[in-house]
Amino acid sequence: MSDVILSARGVTKIFRQGRIEVPALRGVDLEVRTGEFLALVGPSGSGKTTFLNLAGALDVPTGGELLVFGKRIADLSRAARAELRLRELGFVFQAYNLVPVLTALENVEFVLELQGVGGERRERARAVLDELGLGELADRRPAELSGGQQQRVAVARAVAARPRLVLADEPTANLDGENAEILMHLMRDLRDRHGMTFVFSTHDPRVVAHAVRVVTLVDGRVARDQEKPGEAPHEILPGVGKAEAAGHLGP
Amino acid sequence: MALVAGKYALRSVGRNVRRTALSVLGIAIGVALALFMESMNRGREGLFARAAAYSGSGHLRVVPRGWRLRRDPRLRLAGFEADLAAARDLPGVAVVAPRARAQVLLAMGTHVVPIEAVGVDPEAEQRAYRFVRNVVAGRWLRPDDEPGAAVVGQAVADRLEAELGDDLLATVVGEGGRIESGMLRIVGIVRTGSEEIDASICQVTLGELERLTGLRGAGEVTVLLSDHRSAPAARAALAARIAPGDEVLTFEDLAPEFKGHLEQDKATNRFVNGIILLIVVLGVASAQLAAVLERRREFAVLSALGMRARRMVRLVLLEALALGLAGGALGLALGLPVLWLFSTRGLDLSRLMGATWSFQGILIEPVIYGDLGPWIVPYVLAVALGATALASLYPAWFAARTDPAVALRVAQ
Repeated sequence: MSDVILSARGVTKIFRQGRIEVPALRGVDLEVRTGEFLALVGPSGSGKTTFLNLAGALDVPTGGELLVFGKRIADLSRAARAELRLRELGFVFQAYNLVPVLTALENVEFVLELQGVGGERRERARAVLDELGLGELADRRPAELSGGQQQRVAVARAVAARPRLVLADEPTANLDGENAEILMHLMRDLRDRHGMTFVFSTHDPRVVAHAVRVVTLVDGRVARDQEKPGEAPHEILPGVGKAEAAGHLGP
Repeated sequence: MALVAGKYALRSVGRNVRRTALSVLGIAIGVALALFMESMNRGREGLFARAAAYSGSGHLRVVPRGWRLRRDPRLRLAGFEADLAAARDLPGVAVVAPRARAQVLLAMGTHVVPIEAVGVDPEAEQRAYRFVRNVVAGRWLRPDDEPGAAVVGQAVADRLEAELGDDLLATVVGEGGRIESGMLRIVGIVRTGSEEIDASICQVTLGELERLTGLRGAGEVTVLLSDHRSAPAARAALAARIAPGDEVLTFEDLAPEFKGHLEQDKATNRFVNGIILLIVVLGVASAQLAAVLERRREFAVLSALGMRARRMVRLVLLEALALGLAGGALGLALGLPVLWLFSTRGLDLSRLMGATWSFQGILIEPVIYGDLGPWIVPYVLAVALGATALASLYPAWFAARTDPAVALRVAQ
């Protein structure tokens, strides 16, 4: 649990709007280790999404050094960054961002297809949906799913290819309290069972409560980095099994 | 198991039904117009080739080597019998007609007409020379015809003030440059509808021309093929079989101006076709670009999931090909009845060009029949898929260049 998979040293990001320069990150220093369940918190405009975009190789930093799985993001071509995202990273977005014309199963299967998984990809996709309690909804399109269900499909899509790092940008922002709670349990359960690392941004204090480590960004810098000592054994929901947890997920 | 990417592309086509329907209709109209133009183009090419071949040129012509430059009608084939046999043995040959030519001065009373007389095999000419059916007085030549029998054009008869049964004095330059004379009798008069052609017809039997000129054999073997498009292959095959000292010419060699006119006509039509397709391409490109712009966030998400630019281009191309296939099918459905109509009834241009039109001695009917053949399926596929693939290149490139961070930030 001590391998550093993400290392940021003095990372800056400046956006240019015409002649105006808007600094989003002003020198972030942060290390993320394998298996962490890390929450990025901070006020709006503090740089959480920008940092997640950089960590996810969606964008390149303006300055400083950002290494993801030992690769300097600034040095990678567009194709190499796409390859890194495909092989090592998973994304969960605030607005779910499922492909509307594909069913839940196909949304998950698509990622496996991109990875070049052959004949068994449908079974694998179905297994991931089953694992997240979505088996019965596999043939529904996003429009036929509730927000909570869509976000769980998005998590299934993010983890289907077993990425080592899952980045989630405000994953519970569009969910009610119960669904947010359940989603966090599912994500933490995936992390526990598959050894994936989760880094997510959030405003929600109930979500922060699930994090093992909380990094606070203020004005584009790390203002606080707090790790919870002696992490407790995890349950999906206290006293409730996984299947039952899935049953709790209402629209 | 169908690939998810394929399902995604196909279902994406159906997202905006109105836009898709308009795009498909645009492609269909473009395809139908292109199909019609190409059909008429091919029909006209076939008509011209047929008109030229049966007006005396033939599809292929075996001539003495050097004739092409000198055009001296006194030249005779080095191996007339061998050439004739080789031509008759050629696969795909409809008819073979041996001919000989001579410059003749026809005179009656005080009237004189210079003309190129043609010595023919009357039986072969029945199938090789369309003007046999245009005899308006008397009859066509017979294999065992009386000595001096000749068929002339109406304009020749008019200029000589001659009638059927009249005798004409024919003066020719014979072997060794000797001036030879003989008498011809008009047994038939031909009226084609073209004064230019009627003024050039004077046909006698091969034997009669030999008797007049003293030159033995034929000056050419004209070959008509069942399908004019097989001329290049037939030419090569025939060239390998004929007597040394002779060569094979095609219709293009014989009438390069006519061929040039055809090519120019074809190029103009293709240019118009190109403009039609360009308009279709721009329309489809605009619709495709709108579709890509609407789904910018989706492409950003696909990029975030690791989809490479190349795959994204393929995805957009696949959507375009689906549109192209639908447009092509509809274009075929729209175009086929029109094509069938014009291939059976023809396009009558007589109001524009008169009852007949002649060019370089070739009589052309004013009715063009469209060509309707199996070529239309690959043609429609090529036009529809090619146009839509071309139209989707820019939208595909645009999708592939989507910056996921920017697109997702804008979406949020």
